[in-house]
Amino acid sequence: MDKNKIIENLSGILTPSQVNTDPEDLYDASADRYKKYAKVRRVLDVPMPAAIVYPKSADEVGKVLSFCNESGLNVIPRAGKTATEGGLENWKENTVVIDALHLNRILNIDTYNMQATVQAGVPLQQLEDELRKNGFTAGHSPQSKPVAKLGGLVATRSIGQFSTLYGGIEDMVVGLECVFPSGHISRIKNVARRSGGPDIRHIAIGNEGALCYITEVTVKIFRFYPENNRFYGYLIRDMETGIQVLREVMVNGFRPSVARAYSEEDAAQHFYHFHKDKCVLLFMAEGPQGIVSATCQAIEDAVEKFKTGVIEQVDGQLIEDWFNNLNWSQKDIDDEMEGMKQNDSHAGFTTEISADWETIPKIYNNVMQRIRSEYPRAHDLTMLGGHSSHSYINGTNMYFVYNYHIHCEPEDEMRVYHHPLQRIIVEETLKLGGSMCHHHGIGKFRNEWTMDEHGSAYYMLEKLKEAFDPNGIMNFGTIYPQKEGEKYQQ
Amino acid sequence: MKIICAVKFVPDVDSVVNIVGTATGDPETIRTGRHPRMILNPDDACSLAFALQVKAGNPGCSVEVVSAGPLSVRPHMEDLLRLPVDRATLISGRFFDEGNSSGRHNSSVTGDLLAGYIADRPYDCLLTGTQTLDGGSASVPVQLAEALGLDQMLGIIRVDPHRFDTRRAVFEVADDTRITTYEMVMPCVLSLTRESGYKLPYVKLTDMRRDVSDDLTVITAEELGFSEGEEGRTGSFTRVMNIYPKTYDEKDRHIVQNDEAGITEVFDFLKAEGFL
Repeated sequence: MDKNKIIENLSGILTPSQVNTDPEDLYDASADRYKKYAKVRRVLDVPMPAAIVYPKSADEVGKVLSFCNESGLNVIPRAGKTATEGGLENWKENTVVIDALHLNRILNIDTYNMQATVQAGVPLQQLEDELRKNGFTAGHSPQSKPVAKLGGLVATRSIGQFSTLYGGIEDMVVGLECVFPSGHISRIKNVARRSGGPDIRHIAIGNEGALCYITEVTVKIFRFYPENNRFYGYLIRDMETGIQVLREVMVNGFRPSVARAYSEEDAAQHFYHFHKDKCVLLFMAEGPQGIVSATCQAIEDAVEKFKTGVIEQVDGQLIEDWFNNLNWSQKDIDDEMEGMKQNDSHAGFTTEISADWETIPKIYNNVMQRIRSEYPRAHDLTMLGGHSSHSYINGTNMYFVYNYHIHCEPEDEMRVYHHPLQRIIVEETLKLGGSMCHHHGIGKFRNEWTMDEHGSAYYMLEKLKEAFDPNGIMNFGTIYPQKEGEKYQQ
Repeated sequence: MKIICAVKFVPDVDSVVNIVGTATGDPETIRTGRHPRMILNPDDACSLAFALQVKAGNPGCSVEVVSAGPLSVRPHMEDLLRLPVDRATLISGRFFDEGNSSGRHNSSVTGDLLAGYIADRPYDCLLTGTQTLDGGSASVPVQLAEALGLDQMLGIIRVDPHRFDTRRAVFEVADDTRITTYEMVMPCVLSLTRESGYKLPYVKLTDMRRDVSDDLTVITAEELGFSEGEEGRTGSFTRVMNIYPKTYDEKDRHIVQNDEAGITEVFDFLKAEGFL
């Protein structure tokens, strides 16, 4: 089917005003932040989608999906456009992007049952602002909060900066509504807990648009006690000390909302005003006063236990100030884009992995050693470090952070710099049994390791695709490796 | 049109970490330290970038690069072939052993070697840089011009691409007070500075993966007809007595707040330093 015919059909299913074929918008829809530099330099090597559509209901989403399914058209679901791993990149000539722009209503905030129901296109910041008016919080605060939308957050299995207390998005989703390629609409009801077979929420949560389109979600909400917030910061000798203190707090049963350890290099870019070329350990405790007091005591005890590795405590106000300016607004994103037009540089990249407590330091050290010794462009690196920022009773994540002078053509940048670095990180992580993707999802550029990530359980993932998307129209190349897509990767 | 660019690979001063020893010319002394990464001398990179611009606008133009240096710069020369340069020649040999990779060979010998090679090559224009980052071979372009019997100009900041052909070159030279436009009859030696701003293109990924090892010509001083006495230290008129890594004083770092007092302090500082 040619693009004109696709547009004509879509305009009939929806209304012409709900079908966007503006070339600039289609170019923007061709790739996400994974190829931010090539995108801003206008050298993207992927096809533009045929159209972006803006359905206003689950029924309309169903009609569009049915049409695409019957016509063999690739579909890319999107919401806040903050994807970083290529999940929104287009690898097919005939692609329809379904945007959640008009699914923008907060349907219900139920403070008695402590849950809120919103459509997929509601910005998280908007929900949070509404909740705060009444003394509540969503408890979810990714750095992209000012821009990200609920549908995308659930579809990518997002995590927020206060996850150590509130959990990841998967811990918050009570129920949801999603639409499959056949046009079938599934509603998963909102209950506190049930044992009705496998937890089918998890078919939709984290599907990255490769199985279904999420149209509505119900999430838990929490009482907000900002007056009780307490912050701790320490300069520490090494990452091992930081990981040990984090573990001590967690395994003793405490859940600070923020618990982080930064390498010297990463600390230098975040805490320029006090890092003194040392690693940084920080905590935030929040919640009811009694819990905060107990958590603070646990933090102080853990620091005391590993005091030989602790150099000095820093003023908690410095940590609070830093936190209050951490999020990325649309202006920050626009500024970065503008900067990339002028300079051969950007704000850097990250790769986030997870493993148990015992393994994380090994992965960290192996990665650092390998990058420094075998990465051929190591001399171009201007920054290489990492931090642990999401902890659990049995382990933590590691957020590898790196930046570099870009000494190659913009279209080659990811293949010359980010991807080889990511490859080392992923290989070292999988080798030691960790997960290659803590919270950014697999997208399209980690799909070459999806089978290694899941091992024998990949069978289950594969069967889900066969069952729910038998024609393979949903977000081609995302999560599931595709031979045809390799030309965009290698 | 045929352009030859004489280039040098120099230590990247930003990558110097730790050079140990007094480095009096004894290779053993040098090997005890960590060598910095080698880069194409920035002035030379500008001259090559200009040559490639001319080539891009004139399919009949050919660009050859010639360098005298140790075999360790071979990968860098191969990268130039990937740009693409039509021909690349590395003059190497006994004198340019690994111990001399930091560029401590004598510039008069380098000039003689380059001139010996270029004399037998066809060219309409010889492009070089004006200065070298390591400060060791700024005399080479002048020597080349003298040895080849050509006119030469240093400090070029711009070449008029519309008046650059096999007959003449029109270009601008900057000094402290003015910019002067010159016209020079070809063939000649034009030496550009990094202030010219000509920027080398990057090697494309597909070309990075191309094996060009057989395309690089490597010749020795002996093959150019130089005797053992004419190359190396015995052929030099001067000696490098010592090299050492440049050290920088640690800055007195002072962090101010984004408030009235902080702004005043920054303003006063900039004023005191003459920026305002």
